[in-house]
Amino acid sequence: MTAAVSTGGVKPAKRGRGFLAPTILPGFGTAFGFTLFYLCLIVLIPLGHMVLVSAGVGWTRFWAITLAPRVLHAFYISFGCAFVAALVNAVFGLIVAWVLVRYRFPGRRIIDAMVDLPFALPTSVAGIALTAIYAPNGWVGAFAKAAGFKIAFTPLGIIIALVFVGLPFIVRTVEPVLQDLDAEVEEAAASLGATRWQTFSKVLLPAILPALLTGIALAFARGVGEYGSVIFIAGNIPAVSEIVPLLIVARLEQYDYAGATIIATAMLGLSFLLLLAINFLQRWTRSRHAR
Amino acid sequence: MAIEIRNVEKTFGAFTALGGVSLDVRSGELLALLGPSGSGKTTLLRIIAGLDHADAGEVSFDGQDTRDRAARDRQVGFVFQHYALFRHMTVFDNVAFGLRVKRKAERPAEMDIRRRVGQLLDMVQLSHLATRYPSQLSGGQRQRVALARALAIEPKVLLLDEPFGALDAKVRKDLRKWLRHLHDDMNITSIFVTHDQEEALELADRVVVMNHGQIIQVGTPTEVYDTPADSFVFDFLGGVNRLNGIVDKGVARLDGHPVRVDGEVGPEGPALIYVRPHQVELGVAPADGVPEGKWSARVSMVHAAGPVARVELDLSGRALEAQLSRDRLSDLALQVGSWCTVDFRHARVFPARA
Repeated sequence: MTAAVSTGGVKPAKRGRGFLAPTILPGFGTAFGFTLFYLCLIVLIPLGHMVLVSAGVGWTRFWAITLAPRVLHAFYISFGCAFVAALVNAVFGLIVAWVLVRYRFPGRRIIDAMVDLPFALPTSVAGIALTAIYAPNGWVGAFAKAAGFKIAFTPLGIIIALVFVGLPFIVRTVEPVLQDLDAEVEEAAASLGATRWQTFSKVLLPAILPALLTGIALAFARGVGEYGSVIFIAGNIPAVSEIVPLLIVARLEQYDYAGATIIATAMLGLSFLLLLAINFLQRWTRSRHAR
Repeated sequence: MAIEIRNVEKTFGAFTALGGVSLDVRSGELLALLGPSGSGKTTLLRIIAGLDHADAGEVSFDGQDTRDRAARDRQVGFVFQHYALFRHMTVFDNVAFGLRVKRKAERPAEMDIRRRVGQLLDMVQLSHLATRYPSQLSGGQRQRVALARALAIEPKVLLLDEPFGALDAKVRKDLRKWLRHLHDDMNITSIFVTHDQEEALELADRVVVMNHGQIIQVGTPTEVYDTPADSFVFDFLGGVNRLNGIVDKGVARLDGHPVRVDGEVGPEGPALIYVRPHQVELGVAPADGVPEGKWSARVSMVHAAGPVARVELDLSGRALEAQLSRDRLSDLALQVGSWCTVDFRHARVFPARA
């Protein structure tokens, strides 16, 4: 009896079963299968279909559409404004995160909640609100008009809208890392003779740089894809303040499905390349930390 | 460098961290600030370093007031309990930090920095780990990096905040010895904070015992151990038996028997009799009752690991601990449940607090 159990019972664990290391967590097969199925259904198949459709159009037409001046300019506006907005947020979002983490003051929780507003707000609401302020007859826009320039209906307006929607991404990614940083580290730098600026640039900034880059990447990605808040304030003047997502919608409204799909595919490819680049940058900074 | 501290006060909200503390630190000595948590010892250390500011009073270095000198201008080496290493820098860069942030005119050439950091890493025996990051080091190694980093700026004073607090017992002992040798070689005025009386007594030239934001006693380890200023110091510096007795007509009594007392007996009335475990003398209980003037106790536990045996006793309902040599223990043939006589070689009496 015992002999039968010992030979027929527990199988010795097989070694080298590919990528799956032995684990005691149950349900890997089911969970992994579901993950694959879900990602295919939600992400891969729609995007793949889009690439397939635009591939069917042929290379000549693809380049003709994407390289048209109006489309090129829209790409320039979309990515350029998103990039500038992400950088602006990197600086000021960092300051907001710093204030929220390091200081205790009355109303801190209110400011903390305010940071999340752009997350929660429907973007079109943000668009209307921003346009009302920055249009030439709005509160801020009137000052700009007096000073001789326009905010709404120019790329500057787009940048402002993207700064608005991107702010929480920077603050919320940097905050936990700042919280994690011991005040002792700054005190150590001070006792070693470092000035405030040296402490910031040599001690604090390198420590939060990976998180900051992640925040910039997220804010940038959000900015590139942003539609609702931008279309109101941008004014959508072709070759001046027109963004790619709007161009796609415009094509769809003209029943030019192939054109819309091709521009969308080009956008997908570009976004993918940029996020890939940012990821490599992150890996590089992280490897220097050797955590 | 000598440090004079005069009437330093510091409060955090309603909490008084330091209530008018004065202390003279002699040049070149190794001083321990010893006390329980919340006694103000770390606050005092941070005020000396310039990381905190005193509400009142002054701290002067060699007679010069430090009020207007920021931490970065004090030339003070500070070692934090949790090391506070820069985790994105290698060991080498951590140690070099203090040299590299110097003003251009004072900054050594890169080659000199390399040589100096190399020497420091040799000194803390970490040259082979110069290219590692702090996260790849053990606790003891990190603490030595922190020490090398603090010493790189050639500080006039070295301040250590619970330097061994986060290390395990074995590493702590080794590092303690090593720090003592280092101090003897370099002769920097050093102050370290600890709540571990053994550490303070073993390592320091002088010990400052603190409690509730006040300095209770200052003295050499022998002085504070042998002649504690009050019951708190007695209690804090190592194991002690506290027995409820009474002072009657100038004689301290425990269960009616007189107790031999060092120093003053104190006021009449209820009193606490303090006896260190190694001052408790045990003897074989004769078959025909207890001799006059001695107590008898029942053995409730015997710990006989290590050079010294600890015996826990039940002295008419009170717990009493005694320490004796292993030889003496086997002579007495004490076992759990057996009876023995008890006497006290030295005891101190303090009035019982109401």
